Amino acid sequence: MSQEEFYIGWQDEMPLSNKQFIKRILIGIFILIPLFLMYVVLFQKPFNHHHFEFGTLTELTGIYHGDPYPILEVSDEDSTEFILLVGFGKFGAEEIIYDIQNEHGALLGEEVTFRGTLIYGDGVTLLELTDQEESFVSSKDKEVEPFEGLDNSESVSLTGEILDPKCYFGVMKPGEGKIHKSCAIRCISGGIPPVMRVLQDDGESYEYYLLKGKEEENINKEVLPYVAETISVSGISFYQNGWKVLKLDLESIERNK
Amino acid sequence: MSLNYTSVQWNKQKKGYDKILWLGIAFMLICFIGFQFLFHPEITAETIIIRATAITAFLLLHIILSIGPLARLNTKFLPLLYNRRHLGVSMFFIALIHGVFSIIQFHALGDINAVVSVFTSNQHYQEISEFPFQTLGFFALLILFLMAATSHDFWLNNLSPKIWKTLHMGVYVVYGLLVLHVALGALQYEDHLVDWVFLLGGFIAILSLHLVTGIKENRRLQKDRDLLKKDGFYEVCLISDIPESCAKTIFLEGENIAIFKYDGRLSAVNNVCKHQMGPLGEGRIVDGCITCPWHGYQYKPEDGKAPPPFTEKLKTYQLKVLDGKVWVNPDPNEEGTYIEPVKLEDA
Repeated sequence: MSQEEFYIGWQDEMPLSNKQFIKRILIGIFILIPLFLMYVVLFQKPFNHHHFEFGTLTELTGIYHGDPYPILEVSDEDSTEFILLVGFGKFGAEEIIYDIQNEHGALLGEEVTFRGTLIYGDGVTLLELTDQEESFVSSKDKEVEPFEGLDNSESVSLTGEILDPKCYFGVMKPGEGKIHKSCAIRCISGGIPPVMRVLQDDGESYEYYLLKGKEEENINKEVLPYVAETISVSGISFYQNGWKVLKLDLESIERNK
Repeated sequence: MSLNYTSVQWNKQKKGYDKILWLGIAFMLICFIGFQFLFHPEITAETIIIRATAITAFLLLHIILSIGPLARLNTKFLPLLYNRRHLGVSMFFIALIHGVFSIIQFHALGDINAVVSVFTSNQHYQEISEFPFQTLGFFALLILFLMAATSHDFWLNNLSPKIWKTLHMGVYVVYGLLVLHVALGALQYEDHLVDWVFLLGGFIAILSLHLVTGIKENRRLQKDRDLLKKDGFYEVCLISDIPESCAKTIFLEGENIAIFKYDGRLSAVNNVCKHQMGPLGEGRIVDGCITCPWHGYQYKPEDGKAPPPFTEKLKTYQLKVLDGKVWVNPDPNEEGTYIEPVKLEDA
């Protein structure tokens, strides 16, 4: 390099040879980067088609059930949906329902209208009580047949992942696995019902179990160390208010490494 | 060259550098977001922001780490080095968006403080595959903040180049933390082979560049150790080995020395620039001054002083010429000490 070609940053112009060289490097970078990014995106795991109707509030009217978690049974002429209620942010609905009941009286078995944000995917629907206690619109008496008990129960051993249904069914993509683990832990710790996702024999579809303890107590804190990992568990499963429920034997949990 | 504090000493090349830098950043973000909408239209806005800023910042870090060794291996890369600090600060801001969004998305609106949640939600610190990778990113961001906050020459002058340089070598700690952050985080979910190839490929490329540069430098030092010594002077090279207006560098008795040939004379100064410890010996004599290849800081060869009004000073060394060979005494003179240049006509 001759003296004339020596590069000095504070000079107005850089030497021509530097200029041409840097130009070639930049052109190379501007060609390679899109190719690199395209490969990264192409080989990315696909996202599910779950939805969170962020910014849209919907009013739903149905029969309120308190077990296994707050659920609204919404029926029309063709079908009945059992909609799991969750709170705003990373919280469950139980405390909100408690506050609403303190102000408006017991909701159990009544026809209740809630306003909130719909979350849905894979045949499951949740309603976020976005405005917390203000999400309660109205209620009126309705005669509802009581839950018949555990006559559909069976002992099962399952392998799957514990996740928080709020994120998984629409709020976050992805709402599962290692990168979502901390968020799922926060959500379940905040009272959102833990759900166990179990892959079926077809290798594509899933079954979802709301988790409870042996005595049907909440076990949110107890399952936190196992969230977002593949685990094997045993317990008793049964149907309740449209959901499969697993009365989980906490001592049976095994991490699959 | 800094004299008084000013926010940024803009010049034409810095402005051009920043324009291309931000054009490049915008290009990366647009490409990534475009490909996401094309191939994964179901993606949410939050996930796009988190992923686009993550990959852009990580790519920029690879470029930042490559520039140093590339400029040592080929001086044509020097224009990329000149304003590298703006590249680093830009990278920090993009990483900051990633960090803040991730903390809000995954940890806020919960039953404990969001920052506490980063460290306590996942407590499998003893396991590699389940390790809470967010903590690694958090510490990397903290170091990047310290580096970005002290990037201005104001801090360089106040902390001293040595401390400043040590602090800014933290970029290698950041890189290590981020490689682990990606490997133990995103790649535990996105486990396609291509992702591992990219991550390890980038790591190997950075490592190789530094190794090659280090080996080249080490070879030069090895050779210099076998020199003849007489009366405190070492025989360095033939006069003709030093190109006009350039230098021969040598490492003797712990002293890093650059011997410059210019206008029929020879002078020796310390090889380390007072600004950012750049290799002066890879610079040139321009307008009668030694000019650093990194940022153009200048020193007079005969006394190692920056021309007024600047105040930086270098150590100087005694030289002599015998039978066409250059000899240097590595015992340094005080910074700024005038040493009569060796006139080659007399020699």
